[in-house]
Amino acid sequence: MKKTLVLVLSLVLAMSLLMAASAEAGFTEYPIFEDEEVAFLHVNAVYFQAVPMAPGQENFEDYDIHLECDVAALENDLGYGVDDWVPYLTIDFEVIDEATSETAADGTFMVMSASDGPHYGANIKLPNAGTYTVKFTFHSPADNGYLIHSDSETGPGGLLEEYFGDGPLTLEYSGWDYVPLG
Amino acid sequence: MLKYLIAVTGSTAVPAVLLGLLCAWIVPAYKRRGTLTICVSAVAATLAALVYTILRNTTKVIDRSGGASMWNVRVFALSAFALIIFYVFSPLAARRKSGGAARALALAAAGVLTLTQTFYAMAQVMMNISKFNLGGEGMLSTAFITRIIGLILGLAIAVVILTAMIQVALRMKPGTVLALLWAVLFVNAFQQVSSALGTLYSKRYISGHGLFQFIKFTTNHSDLFTYVIMAVAFAIPVVLWARSFNVREPYRNPAEHRKIKAKWRSIRRWSTALVCAFVLVVLCLTWFTAIDNRVIELSPVEECEIRDGACYVAMTQVDDGHLHRFAYTTENGVEIRFIIIKKPNSSSYGVGLDACDICGETGYFERGGQVVCKLCDVVMNINTIGFKGGCNPIVVPWSIEEGFIALPIEGLVEYESEFK
Repeated sequence: MKKTLVLVLSLVLAMSLLMAASAEAGFTEYPIFEDEEVAFLHVNAVYFQAVPMAPGQENFEDYDIHLECDVAALENDLGYGVDDWVPYLTIDFEVIDEATSETAADGTFMVMSASDGPHYGANIKLPNAGTYTVKFTFHSPADNGYLIHSDSETGPGGLLEEYFGDGPLTLEYSGWDYVPLG
Repeated sequence: MLKYLIAVTGSTAVPAVLLGLLCAWIVPAYKRRGTLTICVSAVAATLAALVYTILRNTTKVIDRSGGASMWNVRVFALSAFALIIFYVFSPLAARRKSGGAARALALAAAGVLTLTQTFYAMAQVMMNISKFNLGGEGMLSTAFITRIIGLILGLAIAVVILTAMIQVALRMKPGTVLALLWAVLFVNAFQQVSSALGTLYSKRYISGHGLFQFIKFTTNHSDLFTYVIMAVAFAIPVVLWARSFNVREPYRNPAEHRKIKAKWRSIRRWSTALVCAFVLVVLCLTWFTAIDNRVIELSPVEECEIRDGACYVAMTQVDDGHLHRFAYTTENGVEIRFIIIKKPNSSSYGVGLDACDICGETGYFERGGQVVCKLCDVVMNINTIGFKGGCNPIVVPWSIEEGFIALPIEGLVEYESEFK
């Protein structure tokens, strides 16, 4: 009996040590695309398991993945620091199944912070493996009340309407080979 | 409840078949050592799954070690390696005197297979438990209890499959059991290897169009592997059930005859139990899944009067305590929906847009006397509808005028952009 108990505990301990020993720094994200640029925005898209978000979005049992859009500023005349996260955007997303041309998921990202910083993201249902097109629509921060100093003395030099004058910016990425997370 | 019944059944049905066949093969071949190996491995795997679940939910250890998917890859790789060892050495296990090393290797491989399959299944089951109270309903809520019932029912089906599979497979010839065991192990390994490839592909460790098409097919048809495994295992109860009606075992006296009849009656019962459990698994993966995935339709928009720059809703129309939905169509053709509900034990009303700041125009529906956001499934406190914040409906101006609830059109049009 003692031998059996020792054997069970040894196996559990071995697996626990294995879990701890293989730990490495970082955050497990799955890339969709990297380093796309639109106007003054540098955009990366990743996904990982659906996550709870507080307040009010703790229940994630119905979702397959968390879709994340990381938006940083490129060299710009709007006062954003280069490589800094760009706040006050409203970003609509659409995931289109390339086999059927049907929308598999769509919506508007929420704004949130994870351990790797602030980003735009949403939990979505995407149960089937396939090749998808991801389309992001960036609305002007001005729509959310973001202002730019417009005088030459204190202003950064540019205005949002120079980028959004013709409407929202769009970014489309085709050929995302998606496999649901096991 | 259905969600967890389906999830647990999907995670445990195949491992239960595998372990049942493994037990039925190992017990006659190794006697006490075989039973001990299976039991020790299964208990150790369950405890390891518990450690894994606690680490995954309370620390960043699992995520930093590659995430749950990479853990599955490791488990599947170990399982595939053990299967190869088992396939090579298990035919030699019957040679009790000559095949010492081979017997030991086959036993060890069976132990590792039990360990990996049980760990994978139990980790998935336990992860479900961590989702039980995500909505904050509390442990005594109906939602929480029904989720537990779903999980217990799923585990009960797995226990029935495991027990019945052992009981019926023990009546088969060891060679037949081993052949069936190989078949289900290889089908299962095929599915697990393709799942592992999917994870590696997602992380861009591997690539290739043909490979992706293979992963896509196996991922989108993962239930097919469960059906194939059950179809293979299905042969055992069917054969035994048919044979139970035509027993020709010799007996020397009526007592022996009664014993033989009782034995076959027992076999028939276990076979029936196994077939019923298989039918339940198929129902879970098909019918119950279809029910659980039904898209919630919002209740239709009701009529309201539009006059004098406002939408007027008669209070008598909305004083039943249920959720009512109305709409105003703007000059641009955008339908702006709003909801009204009479608050419980109160004469006041909850009024707001059928949209919130977080989830957009997704809308709300009524479930069991509660108002629920269609997108995030958050249950609203009806008494706070009309107040700003969280997933509450966007607040719009309204007033009561001579038996009507009046919402000024200009207050609605302000939110036109919320409704695309």
